[in-house]
Amino acid sequence: MAFSRAASLALAALLLAFPFLSDSFTAYQLGLYLLYGMVAQGIALCWGRAGFLPLGQALFFGIGAYLAGAALKAGVGWALLVPAFAVACLVPALLAGLVGALVFNRQIGSGPYFSLITLALSMLGFQLANSLNGVTGGFNGMTGIPGLPGIDTYETLYFVIVGALIVSTLLLAHVMRAPFGQLLIAVRENEERLQFFGFRTSMLKAAAFAISGGVAGLAGALYAPHQGIVTPQAVGFLLSAELVIWTAVGGRFGLIGPVVGAVLIGFMAAGLRDTFRYWEVAVALVFIAVVLRLPGGIGGLFPSVLRLFAGEAELGKSGIAPHPLAERGHRSAPDLRFDAVGVSMGPVNILNGLDFAISRTGIHCIIGPNGAGKTSALNVLTGRLPLATGDISWRGASLANTRPYIAARSGIGRKFQVPSIFPELTVSQNIEIAVWANRLSAREMFSMQPYAWTTEMLTELRQRFPSLTEGEKSAGSLSVGQRQMLDFSMTLLAEPDLVLLDEPCAGLSAEETRQMIEAIAAIAAETQATFIIIEHDMQVVERLSDHVLVMHQGALLANGTMTEIRANPDVKRVYAGGTK
Amino acid sequence: MSGAPLLSVENLSGGYGEIVVVNGFSLDLAGGEVACVTGRNGVGKSTLVRLVTGSLKPSSGRVVFRGRDLTAAPAHGRARQGMGYAPQEGVVFDNLTVAENLTLHHKDRSLERYGDLFTAFPRLSERLTQRAGTLSGGEKKILSFCRALAEDTVLVILDEPTEGVQPENIALMAEAIRRGKETGRAFLIVEQNLSLVEAVADAAYLLDHGECVYSTTERDGLRARLSERLQL
Amino acid sequence: MELVATYGLNFAYSTATLGLIVLGLAVVFGLLGVMNMAHGEFVMLGAYSALMVQQAGLPYVLAIPLALFVCGAFGWLIEWSVIRHLYRRPFDTFLATWGIAILMRKGVEVTFGREYQSIDQSLPGTVEFFGIDYPAYRLVLMALIVALFAGLFVWYQRSNTGARIKAMVENPELAAAVGIDTARLSRATFIAGVATAGLAGVLLAPLVRVEPYMGLDYLLNSFFILVVGGLGTLEGLLTGSGIIGGADVVISAIFDKTAGYLGVLTISILFLWLRPDGIFSRR
Repeated sequence: MAFSRAASLALAALLLAFPFLSDSFTAYQLGLYLLYGMVAQGIALCWGRAGFLPLGQALFFGIGAYLAGAALKAGVGWALLVPAFAVACLVPALLAGLVGALVFNRQIGSGPYFSLITLALSMLGFQLANSLNGVTGGFNGMTGIPGLPGIDTYETLYFVIVGALIVSTLLLAHVMRAPFGQLLIAVRENEERLQFFGFRTSMLKAAAFAISGGVAGLAGALYAPHQGIVTPQAVGFLLSAELVIWTAVGGRFGLIGPVVGAVLIGFMAAGLRDTFRYWEVAVALVFIAVVLRLPGGIGGLFPSVLRLFAGEAELGKSGIAPHPLAERGHRSAPDLRFDAVGVSMGPVNILNGLDFAISRTGIHCIIGPNGAGKTSALNVLTGRLPLATGDISWRGASLANTRPYIAARSGIGRKFQVPSIFPELTVSQNIEIAVWANRLSAREMFSMQPYAWTTEMLTELRQRFPSLTEGEKSAGSLSVGQRQMLDFSMTLLAEPDLVLLDEPCAGLSAEETRQMIEAIAAIAAETQATFIIIEHDMQVVERLSDHVLVMHQGALLANGTMTEIRANPDVKRVYAGGTK
Repeated sequence: MSGAPLLSVENLSGGYGEIVVVNGFSLDLAGGEVACVTGRNGVGKSTLVRLVTGSLKPSSGRVVFRGRDLTAAPAHGRARQGMGYAPQEGVVFDNLTVAENLTLHHKDRSLERYGDLFTAFPRLSERLTQRAGTLSGGEKKILSFCRALAEDTVLVILDEPTEGVQPENIALMAEAIRRGKETGRAFLIVEQNLSLVEAVADAAYLLDHGECVYSTTERDGLRARLSERLQL
Repeated sequence: MELVATYGLNFAYSTATLGLIVLGLAVVFGLLGVMNMAHGEFVMLGAYSALMVQQAGLPYVLAIPLALFVCGAFGWLIEWSVIRHLYRRPFDTFLATWGIAILMRKGVEVTFGREYQSIDQSLPGTVEFFGIDYPAYRLVLMALIVALFAGLFVWYQRSNTGARIKAMVENPELAAAVGIDTARLSRATFIAGVATAGLAGVLLAPLVRVEPYMGLDYLLNSFFILVVGGLGTLEGLLTGSGIIGGADVVISAIFDKTAGYLGVLTISILFLWLRPDGIFSRR
């Protein structure tokens, strides 16, 4: 960490000394590329970290530029200029946040539609800037923008830009190191799983986009005095496109890479554009190569060098207990009701008037042949499938057409049949996210303290499953059994009152199955939580539970103790032919 | 049946990314034989099938079919060599008609190669012009079963063919498999329904954790032995 | 009456040409899932094929085989070198084809120059139609497009290849397992898609501005049309073309060209946000 800080300081010093090592014109040029680099850093936060690609980032850059340009042209002094610059950051940030919230709230995942929307917005901005002559100066641009008062555009403005870059880099570095940054990786890796921990991922993504918009606005605000003119090109598609290329080529996973990309390509373009006609063809080839072979860009080529500048935070792993979960009738008797629940997918009815109620704690098992609708019942309960008819209530409140994060926040934890973890994160990072579930406040997302949180449940789970103690291992390298145990542990670390487990022993060896059964039985007894387990293996069912629900063709077929189920003629008929 | 087996799976391993799901599985299958693979959910049965059909690349081991090493051959190449396959999920093309589902991989688009099967499953021949997406789950399974049993296949690979199928149709499936055996075809069937296994298997393999933990060619008391070993 | 006829013909013309332009992307994006950001550049390549034929003093009809060959060959090259590694990774195809688009734009700019090119109409003059004089070339073009779509529709519904493509789109793994060479079929489909874009370029070249950056507008319009109409069906393609083309014609007539453009963008953004699966989706 100390070394990394030294390296960062050296880099900052080098940037500050640049005008003295070179000439002031080159420094002036460098200033522009550094501004573009700042915008590219914001793109890296969205794209490299959170996995969604903003394709119209010039829009926010251009808005910042026009706002600052208008303030400068009004000739106000520093007293008004500082708030004006703040507005030039805030307006793009709010706009980006609003767009992000609106779009991400409707669409999970990071598909191309968000990218196309940002692209269309940037084109819309370009067209508006072109036609609103009175405000923006139209096609010819907003011209004659004076420099910052008391600062020479060609000499000292450079230092202001470097200062702004240092500030934005430190800010973004903190955002990335804090729990917020780790959650963004989790969004990129497995957004749905994160929702089942109670995180409203659409807001996390919108916040990241807002931060990137604000940084772009700041860069734009400095661009106006730097260039003295702002044309519609500053909001347009072509600049947006180039910004993404610089980010990709420089390296989208860090903060130094995007700046390196913008500066390197900027200088090379300035030097080569006139002498080498195929220069931009060459840039395009490099870009294609990066996409195909080198997702980390130039930054990915020198990971060890870059790590010097982005050292790991010193985390106090001393073990602080997080604030306890809010009282929500904790561990009182569950009250879950399915009333004639119907779910259909296209023409097929998956659930057909499913009716049951669970009113006591302990372990309840759902069995039934493949395709009976067992997993769908859990899906509709947690908002993963839309409810067509009937109603579901949990502790008196309806959960009809809920959303996964709301179900999680009302105390329902879920583990899928196929282990669902964050493969690129380490085991301990996976665990941290689970401990944060339902506990982390918005303020704590930007504080380092939650990294030190630990709970009694975590201690117990580590004793039961030794693979959890190999914290530095990447979760993606775990075996199927270890993944199951990690996923199971993560589900319980959120300390839900209702635990839904979908075939927790699938893919486990006999020994691992025994461990898992023991863990479920012991934890269910200790925590007084309610468990609903889908299980195929009757042996497992018998060991865990005396209450069995049998499903068949989307409805409840039988409901009772194991002995009652065994004696039930309907169940016998359904299972005729199979051993289970 | 003498000479080289029709299908030889040698020490086959594979999985998804870094995760090994099937570990060193071997079997030999001659024409006219039925091999059944069984095991609990999630032990790697479908992965094994996908490694044999070529949908998934193995990390080690060999697949030899009709005397040729097809380990590196793509899935469509294996199908053209005479492997018929009915997967566990995504069994038919919902957007195509029943007839198109049965003929799209044949140049002549003739339905004659399904003559016997249409007699066994008349519902299918009544619905030839209907979109397959409108069929019930069990009917889709039967459609997929029939496609895999077209006359030009020599090895039929079925992944849980009875899932969601009515008992009377399961009996018809078993009958069709027996008739297929008589014409010299080999079957590799992944199945949890032990009554089907008991009805058709010449050899049975029990898979656990991606490895074969038990195999037998003794038919007497087959079901009881498998059933006992399927428990913990 | 004449006014209605004029607007009706303009609307039909605009729908038909948009449909022609978007057809190639509908194939490449709608069927193969490749977000081909170089789609407009293939239209551009088609237009420059027409330019080459004109400069060589050859009959205009020859531009069609030339464009099909140029776009097909280039399509083969990039499918082989880039796209085939990226099927089912739409985001990566998006980025890679974007690089390819820059490459094509710059390549053409270096060869032919940045300036606008003009391409002569092979069918100048107007004919009387429903009581108004309408450009002959436009009428012929509309007839050609209608014939093309009708032929394509029948072929896709009836032919074995059409069924195989549908099968591959729905379930590639099963398609391969029943013996369809999906790698080859994907390549052929991709090449057919980009060649169609080239054909659109040839047919439209005499009517539009031809320059290295012309592809951008076609690209975005095409994406918007597909999003509005929904992917994978010819009906959706035509509905999308009708809505986007109609909005442009109507808003432009009431206000001006810029307003029409802004209106199209706004409609597209709303669709991308609220109904990304198209107007027919039941979500």
